[in-house]
Amino acid sequence: MPSLVVTAHTTARTIAAERGNAVVKAKSLTIDNQVGAGDCAITIQDSFTPAPYIGVPAPGAELIERFRALVQAGDMITWGEEDLKGVRCLGAMLVDSDVIKATCYITVGYEHE
Amino acid sequence: MLELVPKPQFSVVIPPKLLQEGYLVSFASDWPSTHNAIREKTFRIDAVNQVPYDRSYILPTGAVGTLYRDVDFSNGSGAFQESIYPENQNTLFEVLLGFKPGNFLSHWYLPAGKSVHNLEYAQMYPDLTNANRMYLGARQPKDSPYEDPRIKLYFVKDLAPLIMRLYVLAGVDFEKIVVGLTINKCLMREIERPTDDQKLKAKVIRYFDYLRW
Repeated sequence: MPSLVVTAHTTARTIAAERGNAVVKAKSLTIDNQVGAGDCAITIQDSFTPAPYIGVPAPGAELIERFRALVQAGDMITWGEEDLKGVRCLGAMLVDSDVIKATCYITVGYEHE
Repeated sequence: MLELVPKPQFSVVIPPKLLQEGYLVSFASDWPSTHNAIREKTFRIDAVNQVPYDRSYILPTGAVGTLYRDVDFSNGSGAFQESIYPENQNTLFEVLLGFKPGNFLSHWYLPAGKSVHNLEYAQMYPDLTNANRMYLGARQPKDSPYEDPRIKLYFVKDLAPLIMRLYVLAGVDFEKIVVGLTINKCLMREIERPTDDQKLKAKVIRYFDYLRW
């Protein structure tokens, strides 16, 4: 299972790119906000463009929130596979935050299925 | 108690899912006259080549029957055409098709607008705009899983367009429909005067119309 660490940022960070024949499933998530002041609201986002369908030859891009958690300053929270069951991205998996905080680390484990 | 387990009387041999080199195929008389080159003829498979091909479509859900995607397997540059028909008269494409799990269903038409899964009573045909009949004749992912595909299609040159209509069920915003195809390319050679034994052994391929008697 691949994983990636990013820091909290208001510009969404790409965790896993979209793959044509698979969805991206979140397998683990750790948000380490132990250092520094300020809470972080973290979201997992799903970014994709639908395929053309009847009546709509060029659908627009979509950005959908699949998971959201608020981690208070001084806390570190981990979610396992059971907790994240059902969190799956049809396109690329992104992680976004409501604040920029270089000391808030987000570790995401994921798999293409 | 001491027991000697006897030798089994027989063993089970599972035949291959796809046509193999040396196999015989014959095309039934129900093929339209536009397919005279193969109609009522028997062929030997001289070569095969399995070509895997995954396709996926992210589609939204919508009000009953309003949003769907037609997947046209015929050749061409149209937005919904997949171009997986043969271009040569002596080629047969045997296609296995399976779905990854998801909240969707598929309806099948040949040619466009003519369902292959009607019942006999009036109006008992698949209809995405009807809350009940949208499930009539619908193939779901569990019917033909990606890992063990059970939908099999036969394509020859100039076959009328076969349409797979994909529809995302209510209750999800979007769904990713992943379709796994294995295209078994078969090079055919006609047997001019097949023996009775060859006729008997040949796999009979009928036209899709036979599903609509």
